[in-house]
Amino acid sequence: MSLPNDVELTRPQYVGATVTRREDPRLLSGEGNYVADIKRHGMLHIAFRRSDQAHALIHKIDIGEVLSLPGVIGVYTGKDIAEIAKPYKATSRMKNYQATYIPPLAIDKVRYVGEAVVAVVAESRYIAEDALGLIEVEYRPLPVLVDPEKALEPEAPKLHEQLGSNVLAEREFARGEVAEVFVNAPVTVGGRFHFTRTTPVTLETRAAVAEYDKGAKSLTLHSTTQIPGIVRDKLSEIFDLPGPRVRVIAPDVGGGFGGKTSLYSEEIVASAISRALGKPIKWVSDRMEDLMTTGHAFDEVVYADIAVTKDGEIVGLKADVIGDVGAYSIYPWTATIEPVQVVSFMPGPYRIENYAARVRAVATNKTLTGAYRGVGRPISVFVMDRLLDMAARKIGMDPAEIRRRNLVNDDEFPYKAASGLVWDKSAFQSCLREARDKIGYEELRREQNLARAEGRWVGVGIASYAELTGVGSRIAVAPGMPINTGTETCNVAIDSTGAVTASFGIASQGQGMETTLAQVVAQELGVKLEDVEIILGDTAAVSHSTGTYASRGAVFGGGAGTLAAQAVREKIIRVAGHLLEAAEEDIEVGDGNVWVKGTDSKMTIRDLARALYSNMGSVPKEMRDEIDNLEATKVYDPFFGTTTAATHMCLVEVDPETYNAKIKKYIVVEDCGKVINPMIANGQAHGGVAQGIGVALMEEVIHDDTGQVLTASLVDYVVPSAVEVPSMDVMHVEAELPGTIGGFRGLGEGGTIGAPACIANAISDALSPLGVEIMELPATPERLFRLIEAAKSL
Amino acid sequence: MKPALFDYIRVTTVDDAIRALGSCNDAKVIAGGQSLVPMLNFRMVDTPLFVDINGIDDLRGITETSNGGLRIGALTRHFELEVSPLIQERYPLLHEAMKYVAHLAIRNRGTIGGSISHADPAAELPALAVLLDAMIVARGPRGERQIAAVDFFEAPLTTSLEADEIVTAVELPPLPENSGWGFEEFAQRHGDFAVVGVAALVGKYGARISVFGAHNTPLRAREAEKAFGSGDTNAAAEALQSEVDPSDDLHGSADYRRHLAGVLCKRALNNAMSGYAL
Amino acid sequence: MKGKIEIRVTVNGEEHHASVEPRLLLADFIRENLDLTGTHVGCEHGICGACTVLMNGDSVRACLTLAVQADGAEVETVESLGDSENLGSLQRAFREHHALQCGFCTPGMLMTATDMLRKYPLETEDEIRVGLSGNICRCTGYQHIVDAISAARDERNKK
Ligand SMILES: Cc1cc2nc3c(=O)[nH]c(=O)nc-3n(C[C@H](O)[C@H](O)[C@H](O)COP(=O)(O)OP(=O)(O)OC[C@H]3O[C@@H](n4cnc5c(N)ncnc54)[C@H](O)[C@@H]3O)c2cc1C
Repeated sequence: MSLPNDVELTRPQYVGATVTRREDPRLLSGEGNYVADIKRHGMLHIAFRRSDQAHALIHKIDIGEVLSLPGVIGVYTGKDIAEIAKPYKATSRMKNYQATYIPPLAIDKVRYVGEAVVAVVAESRYIAEDALGLIEVEYRPLPVLVDPEKALEPEAPKLHEQLGSNVLAEREFARGEVAEVFVNAPVTVGGRFHFTRTTPVTLETRAAVAEYDKGAKSLTLHSTTQIPGIVRDKLSEIFDLPGPRVRVIAPDVGGGFGGKTSLYSEEIVASAISRALGKPIKWVSDRMEDLMTTGHAFDEVVYADIAVTKDGEIVGLKADVIGDVGAYSIYPWTATIEPVQVVSFMPGPYRIENYAARVRAVATNKTLTGAYRGVGRPISVFVMDRLLDMAARKIGMDPAEIRRRNLVNDDEFPYKAASGLVWDKSAFQSCLREARDKIGYEELRREQNLARAEGRWVGVGIASYAELTGVGSRIAVAPGMPINTGTETCNVAIDSTGAVTASFGIASQGQGMETTLAQVVAQELGVKLEDVEIILGDTAAVSHSTGTYASRGAVFGGGAGTLAAQAVREKIIRVAGHLLEAAEEDIEVGDGNVWVKGTDSKMTIRDLARALYSNMGSVPKEMRDEIDNLEATKVYDPFFGTTTAATHMCLVEVDPETYNAKIKKYIVVEDCGKVINPMIANGQAHGGVAQGIGVALMEEVIHDDTGQVLTASLVDYVVPSAVEVPSMDVMHVEAELPGTIGGFRGLGEGGTIGAPACIANAISDALSPLGVEIMELPATPERLFRLIEAAKSL
Repeated sequence: MKPALFDYIRVTTVDDAIRALGSCNDAKVIAGGQSLVPMLNFRMVDTPLFVDINGIDDLRGITETSNGGLRIGALTRHFELEVSPLIQERYPLLHEAMKYVAHLAIRNRGTIGGSISHADPAAELPALAVLLDAMIVARGPRGERQIAAVDFFEAPLTTSLEADEIVTAVELPPLPENSGWGFEEFAQRHGDFAVVGVAALVGKYGARISVFGAHNTPLRAREAEKAFGSGDTNAAAEALQSEVDPSDDLHGSADYRRHLAGVLCKRALNNAMSGYAL
Repeated sequence: MKGKIEIRVTVNGEEHHASVEPRLLLADFIRENLDLTGTHVGCEHGICGACTVLMNGDSVRACLTLAVQADGAEVETVESLGDSENLGSLQRAFREHHALQCGFCTPGMLMTATDMLRKYPLETEDEIRVGLSGNICRCTGYQHIVDAISAARDERNKK
């Protein structure tokens, strides 16, 4: 009996297949394990008294009779915590950057509403909250800064007295002859764009359970974090504990979207108190805390202009970005993470030789901003693609056509963008082309004209963008930060029972990485999908990892997983060569078996593992000394990273009386390289677009003049429901695979990057007869009402 | 957040409820809890005692009255209103309006008595009570009284109910014969409280118009009704816009709400007129 | 006399007796007292729907119901639909259609869908979307959830 010649046939192609998710059964049946589900013997709960002042000196904290309330165990202020946890800050080598210390609990001064001031430890969350009400905090108010453009002014009061100004970071650069092209350009358009502040709203609020083991002098923190490795490294420093004695675990996590990519005060306070009391400490954020304290998103004003020729060719771009970064520079990403990306990505996928930009990150009395799905790019695409539409309108060109003329062509890659980023070859033009074809662009325009004739306000929107994903060690995710975001580690091990485990430092917050990484490892190793255990989000699993953010999971995890699996496979082949008495070139591995090509000489990998580990004598000592084990740890560094490109198109109708914008059609065409699991990739696009719709139409964190957060519940911070999100079409073009291992490009953020611009363009198109341009999001009915009323009264 | 401590007593008769309410200053009724519990969870209310009326069977059910109207027990859940054949047949606009009230899980618990007593100016049921000339039936230590809906709602979350009274039923007189109806509501997210809504009836008597979300109470828009005369929707809408006195909040400015009141008024009246003409 | 109150609640067919503070939310009773952590808490003001359970057959918000209000009631949580070894048909439809990502909203979605499927024809996609509007999902963009419920509706209609 002989095996088929085409051995590939016997090796299932897991990569590229729609495989149902292995995490689903537990999540569908309530058997998942989220941080809030954790219970420990003797566990205590903490709740925080948070500042109701945006900017004030803490004059006095009076805890009154709190400690006599039954069930209350302790009360901690900023000074108490400072004695047991070192302060920390987000440093960076970037020029013109000023770091700020972040006290886990405010000391002497509060800088935003929601900042934690006092922590109460009690036997239950109910009692802890009872206690909070009994504490009196006396403040001496200071002038409040809510407007970043005012906070910029030299005479503005300072949030951090030791710093020279409220400008935490500043960068300026120019390429080409910007001033000159603007003087000579036949057509220029521009204006002031405003992308308001939003917040991630993961369905699971942030939570932490800290357990300090006095005997072992070790700390275990279960956290809803996306970055267990970064949290571990910093906690080890803050508590002076060696790495092995700090373990950070992210179990099932209910969504991240970037909001859980920062180190949070509560993680430190819970750990500090657990260490002080020797008891497990649990903190689960309520929704109000979550809306007020989880890293906010965006919040930029951008003054931008482009110059184009009469043929629609972009000849110059100028941008001045003012980012409102809130009260502190967030750890680890720094205050640069969001605003600097705005200028870096502003030219987008377009050919722009002359570009000048300035960006300033300004501290205000608001919640810190951090990373949120898309980081910087949703606004850079909003500005750039709005400018393109405005230019197209001015020269009378179709918006799809102006994009076609300016998108980098296939033969121009690798293309160095004016901001210095390098795009590897990606399907810029074909995404646009496919999107046009798929949505039936010409037909849509005809429909639009008919609708207009009936007095309906219908508009077509387009947005094209490129994102750098899987960014390796060449470029830090945030400029100058002293953390390596350019590598990830995977350990693949076959143990003495023959079981396969692939361990990663990255964590999953719903992206299905237990499934997709198993697909990659199973395929590369040659075992059955169901036979690969995946361990994620545990700092004990690998020596170094930063986590899941910046659309890096597939590129880094897939890459490191491939390398480690291949290394183990090589070991398997060596051992099999000996056991099956064949040349290594003749050994094939697949489906959990090894065999000699063209023969029926075959054994299971399980038996092979037993032979190596347990049945002394079956593998000679020299070989065992050389091979050691069926295990390999590999680090992958994609160095430059790779480009993911997409075009979104949509059809929007604005009710000419209520001014409500309704999305009637939506299509995404993206090039994310080799798709590991199409079902999961589509889900990522759907979810990303849904969040982009929220950003475009309804989501906004609103502060009043005194810095109070007015959107402190999900009644007032409105995220879309199933009714406001349309059905959409998602298409993947796998044009030419990039040079990353496996040909993977990152995805996950994309939907949110393209949708705000696409929808803003569609609404502007719908309202073009009135001359209304959307320069600010979200385009709520209220905003449209004001814009339309103003336009009508002209 | 979690609620602060409170006492709780469950009653099975209206008399016991009234007694319990009288036993403690600031005691409050809890019915479906769909407005109360969110406020408790935010620690926005400080109520020493809750009197749970869910066990009072007498407060349930929809029955026909002798004058051809309906009596709706205070504990009737929103979902029961939504699917009641009697309501669908006699008050199709109430049936329609129920689709806009929150979501199934909330309609399963929320009660008409709770909605009326809570008196949210953006809620549907109070506005319909005002439109339909409903009588709110209340009982207290001094006995039972009937309060016309238009007199019941005094200010946001404030009614003419005494602290020791409870609402036992809402009585709807029959709809005037041959009425067309219209119901229009705008909210950016489905199921949210209305930014503005307008309900209207049109018949040979002219129009009845009520608006919610545009005033500090649900408003029976008499001026707009007058302006409508025998069919001028534009005049009615214009009159309504000057009759309402909306306030600003995060979901809409006063100006936008006023604008919407006019738009929705026209739409509701037009629908009502086409129903009437049929 | 802010005393505790004795309650008897049947959860997933099992009767439980407990003495609880009146302020205890049904969601916390289910999660903390009964260790049924499938019911999630996402907002505690009724918007997100993650805590939705069935009480006497009707979907309700466990965060807006006091545990004492469930005295004498039959409560069903996501755990009643099937376990990971033996998923129920709605759970299977969710899995097949990739109707969940992080899984946090999922128990509430499933319980809401169970009630919707009993009460409404759900003939159109719009109707399904309206039915889901009280349950927020931040991961899926809802499309696959709608697909899963459409499939469950077809299954139901066959019976
Ligand atoms: C997410 C969400 C969305 C919602 N959307 C809407 C909406 O779109 N439209 C809408 O109208 N409502 C909406 N609601 C509110 C819902 O309809 C409530 O059910 C209703 O307003 C109150 O009814 P209840 O029985 O739950 O009252 P409870 O919450 O129990 O009580 C509310 C108030 O009424 C008092 N009360 C209750 N019953 C009586 C009585 N018989 N006599 C005297 N006083 C009494 C209570 O003391 C309390 O002050 C929403 C609620 C939520 C949580």
